[in-house]
Amino acid sequence: MSANSNGVVRSGSLGGDFFDFACKVMLIGDSGVGKTCLLVRFKDGAFLSGSFISTVGIDFRNKVVDIDGSKVKLQIWDTAGQERFRSVTHAYYRDAHALLLLFDVTNRQSFENIRAWVSEIHEYANDDVVVMLLGNKSDMTSERLVKREEAEKLAKDNGIAYMETSAKTGLNVDLSFMAVAKDLKMKKTRRPNEPRFNVRDFVDQQKQTPSGCCF
Amino acid sequence: MADSPGRPDGTDDEDQDVLIGEEPGASVHPMLATEDSYEELDYDLNIEAPITEQRERLASGTIASIVEEHTGPASAEEVGTEATELENDVERSSLEGDLSNLQISEEVTQRRADTVPDRQDVPNDTDEEVLQNREAGQREIKDEDIHSSVWRDHKKHVFILSEAGKPIYSRYGNEDKLVSLMGVMQALISFVQDGKNNLRSIVAGGRTFVFLVRPPLILVAVCRTHESQQQLLLQLTYVYNQVLSVLTYSQLSRVLETRKNYDLRRLLGGTEKFLDNLLNLIDQDPSFLLTAVRCLPLDSTVRDTIGHSIQSAKIKDLVFAILIADNQLVTLCRMKKYILHPADLHLVFNLLNASTSFQAADSWIPICLPKFDSAGFLHAHISYLDNSKACLLLLTVDKMMFFELAKCKEKIVEKLKKHHCIEAINRAVAGGGYRCLEVGISDLRHFIYKSKSTAQFTAPELEAPYREKEERARLFNMYQYVHQRVHNAARPLKIMFHVGSREAMLGWVTTGFELYAVFGPLATKQVAILAVNKLLKWIKKEEYRLFILDPPEF
Repeated sequence: MSANSNGVVRSGSLGGDFFDFACKVMLIGDSGVGKTCLLVRFKDGAFLSGSFISTVGIDFRNKVVDIDGSKVKLQIWDTAGQERFRSVTHAYYRDAHALLLLFDVTNRQSFENIRAWVSEIHEYANDDVVVMLLGNKSDMTSERLVKREEAEKLAKDNGIAYMETSAKTGLNVDLSFMAVAKDLKMKKTRRPNEPRFNVRDFVDQQKQTPSGCCF
Repeated sequence: MADSPGRPDGTDDEDQDVLIGEEPGASVHPMLATEDSYEELDYDLNIEAPITEQRERLASGTIASIVEEHTGPASAEEVGTEATELENDVERSSLEGDLSNLQISEEVTQRRADTVPDRQDVPNDTDEEVLQNREAGQREIKDEDIHSSVWRDHKKHVFILSEAGKPIYSRYGNEDKLVSLMGVMQALISFVQDGKNNLRSIVAGGRTFVFLVRPPLILVAVCRTHESQQQLLLQLTYVYNQVLSVLTYSQLSRVLETRKNYDLRRLLGGTEKFLDNLLNLIDQDPSFLLTAVRCLPLDSTVRDTIGHSIQSAKIKDLVFAILIADNQLVTLCRMKKYILHPADLHLVFNLLNASTSFQAADSWIPICLPKFDSAGFLHAHISYLDNSKACLLLLTVDKMMFFELAKCKEKIVEKLKKHHCIEAINRAVAGGGYRCLEVGISDLRHFIYKSKSTAQFTAPELEAPYREKEERARLFNMYQYVHQRVHNAARPLKIMFHVGSREAMLGWVTTGFELYAVFGPLATKQVAILAVNKLLKWIKKEEYRLFILDPPEF
């Protein structure tokens, strides 16, 4: 088993289960935007309702997914949003193949802070890292404070994909992780004459928009 | 009530059995530092240590020296660079902090959590995320009206403020609403300091006010309980250590030196629950009172096997491996040169106790153990083994070691499983410890025994009549009372017999151990003394099960 520069591990059996590719995905964003909830929804299909358990430091979970017949193992880092853990999370940025950057559509400040997060990504992460901007809690239409158009514009300006998610309803949650896994798989298996896989286009085709949106 | 300061009559022969170094639970291989925190407090109480001296005493370079030893001086310098990095971060954020302060003064009534970016982890009232039971309880407490009698009547208030008088933490109520109260505290302290003196405590209105000045912080406890000033000071010291464990002393002093009016809550955001939980533990767990650690009673062969399993998975730069189950220590494996202080271990216990997030996944966190090294962070890989009650912490100095330690943990789990150790731990936890009945002394209801040379203590499970919460709390207060009487600095006692209306208590302190035993109210002094001698023999017989006497090393 060998790891190349962007943290992609090929064929191995880390942790006992077999897979064709492995990649590291990191969830980042302000504290309280729902990073852990999004991950638990993806991993266990459950919503952590009625609880606010803030992550301490970094949590680490694995999930193997099937992408067009290949097993892709996602090693997912769930980080604490609080400032004091930044120096630890920075240390693991450059190992990440993909970063899921979250904000809370009902929390304006978490959206305003996205610019700071993006510059942090430029500073610490690998150049070919896949970044996806996720507006979480999109089911809470009546409390929404960030318009979808604003977020889409911000994502476009930074050349990254944008999706609205809801850990509560499950909207686009699987897609966000699967798109990352697919991107990795395509990078690994693409023949020279084939077109590059574009995560943004893929996501734009596949994503669903939250229903009953009043904006 | 009768106090007997000397050795009780007729027990000289029995006493001969207990030679120093041979008392139950004694060991020549301590894994924990055994200096008494009370002595340290005396130092604080009696010697006017200039601030600078206190700082030197606090900061040490243990972590830097480990790094240097293992990787050469260049890497040790990197540790220094990291510190500078942090400093830059802080400077940047302190600017933001100032901006938000401006907002605060304009919108006094608005909750701070809404205005300061990094405190948004604290969900406000409209948040859809309802807090989990324990945390929900705390949240209600934070919303308490500080003008209500409920707030005033809490048994023990604890406040943290900066030397400039800025609120940092309040156990009850929102500290934002306590600005003027904390201002008064700061004024009192600086008024007395102005006269080249130190404010220690005030007794007024049925309450004791205890002040602990640890520049750049001020900690204050306001109590309606009967705890002594020393006991409260010790508790405030634990609280102070908890703050350091999040920030390190270096960062704390640097931040507040650069900007005296910095709002420290920005950096402490999300850690209120650890302070809340610590204060609750202090009010019910004797380990804090005794500055000692409780071990999970376990067959010594099982404990040895666990120790060997951990030892054999040793990797470079692994400083401590700590296995904890149900708030009790299973084993602690350490680098030969380094020992842990019980106060540091208490912070680790509190960390696990206060958060449920560790059960869900493997975690990686920076933690400062102030007695070990207040200048830097250790990095901890935390995982519950195989969905059991046993939690393994692997501590290192290198923040990039997550995957090495994850592998190390896998190896340990494999070995432990092979020898069925995890089941053994689960069984021991489920069994709830041992019963006082096992000792075979009819009138003995409960006891706490601390071996001083190992800083470990043991106690049986609480049984009738101490099953109810209120009764447990009352018993704990009784232990606190006997503890403060025997440790009274002005009039220390070696042995004390106290007869109350509901139980009789014996406290006995020697150079080797501390023993507190509870009897029925009709027990006489003679009966009690005979009983504790029998008890000591029983503990001696069981010492390999109750204590860690042969701690493993890397």
